[in-house]
Amino acid sequence: MTEEKLTSAGLILPRVAAGEAEAMGQCLSAFGGLVWSIVRRYLRNQTEAEDLVQEIFIEIWKKAASFNPAVASESTFVGLIARRRAIDHLRRQGRKPDFEPLSAAGSIPLPALEKSSVLLDSETVKSSLASFPADTRQLFDLFFEEGFTHPEIAAKTGLPLGTVKTRLRRGLITLREQLQRIATPNQNPAS
Amino acid sequence: MIQDESINRFDELCAGRALSDLSHEEERELALLAGQLGIEPDAAFELLAASLEVEALKDAIEPMPAGLEARLRKCAADFSAGMPSNVLVPEVPAWRKILGNPLAGWAAAAAVAIFALLGSPQEASISPAQAESKLRSEAGDLIERKFEGLGEFKSAGGKVVWSDRLQQGFMTLTGIPVNDPGKAQYQLWIVDPKRDEAPVDGGVFDIPTDGSPVVIPIFAKLALTQPQAVVITLEQPGGVVKSKQEKVVALAKG
Repeated sequence: MTEEKLTSAGLILPRVAAGEAEAMGQCLSAFGGLVWSIVRRYLRNQTEAEDLVQEIFIEIWKKAASFNPAVASESTFVGLIARRRAIDHLRRQGRKPDFEPLSAAGSIPLPALEKSSVLLDSETVKSSLASFPADTRQLFDLFFEEGFTHPEIAAKTGLPLGTVKTRLRRGLITLREQLQRIATPNQNPAS
Repeated sequence: MIQDESINRFDELCAGRALSDLSHEEERELALLAGQLGIEPDAAFELLAASLEVEALKDAIEPMPAGLEARLRKCAADFSAGMPSNVLVPEVPAWRKILGNPLAGWAAAAAVAIFALLGSPQEASISPAQAESKLRSEAGDLIERKFEGLGEFKSAGGKVVWSDRLQQGFMTLTGIPVNDPGKAQYQLWIVDPKRDEAPVDGGVFDIPTDGSPVVIPIFAKLALTQPQAVVITLEQPGGVVKSKQEKVVALAKG
């Protein structure tokens, strides 16, 4: 069952939040593949990936009430949780056994969706991204479409690693500013 | 750094966090800036990154393994019936046992927040007395709870102080044995059953000296509705996602 089909019949997450048993299964049908695919992008170990997917769905069910369809789609909401949990998991695995305190930033829970300064619409995001310079678009493609890491992108493009990081960060900031301008055309983008 | 530059840097670090490219130094810088500026990360960066990744995967979705899906469906049935799966959240009953009857003391500090470790004990450049004195002089809303050592860690003690207004606090710990970071690390947990069945991970830390008070700065990142306790466990290096509570060191509650 695809999200599109379910969307036409109504949103799933509000029904999950309401405790509808049937919606829990629909949530798995609609987003199981998405969550699994996101996790597999970050984790190669199958057992670890399966454990993490279980944790992610628990979190999705618990946080379903915080989903706001005015801010983002259900798949983006689910993707946000899955992606953040996968990245946090990797960070934990990457920590060295010597003294290495878990940073506060690493422990920052997901920002509340209502704290978003933009409302997401995938078509608007795509059209905004299309206006980027070709070299920045290439970096976004390599990172998001192809799933390459920053060092891999640096190796592929011949750019210094720091340049790759900076351009991707600034690209994301620019994207946010463009969406803010679209949302509030008569105001300067807020930080 | 002037305010605008700080905000620009904060945005850059938030974007880096959404792109999962922050160095440890940058993570620390982000936490410090958030505290100094008194602002929260804009969820827009995380949402944008998620939106782009979901869009990229749209035509490349792989189905979940059948075994995993079957387990999740069982888990979903348990969850919807209001029975957290013992397989997935095995530690919940034990945490409840540790806590005993729910206490509302922490709830009195209405917006007490998740505590996340900001730095290592070694990084505290001021003494415990200085740290506490500074916080007391600046905060009019200081709350304080004592740690009680448990089991083989009976000698453990100390306190956690927190200012909701300043969003700053410290743990001052005493009597906690020195750990070998290569073998085990202490981990902080915050218990708020109203928010989550499982305790929230607050990060790992080490005790570098034996017996003398160790000050660990703590940092607020998310408002809780009714936090009931702060718990310290001893875990494998790097900490764990879910504690089996085999070694609960100390507890501050009420």
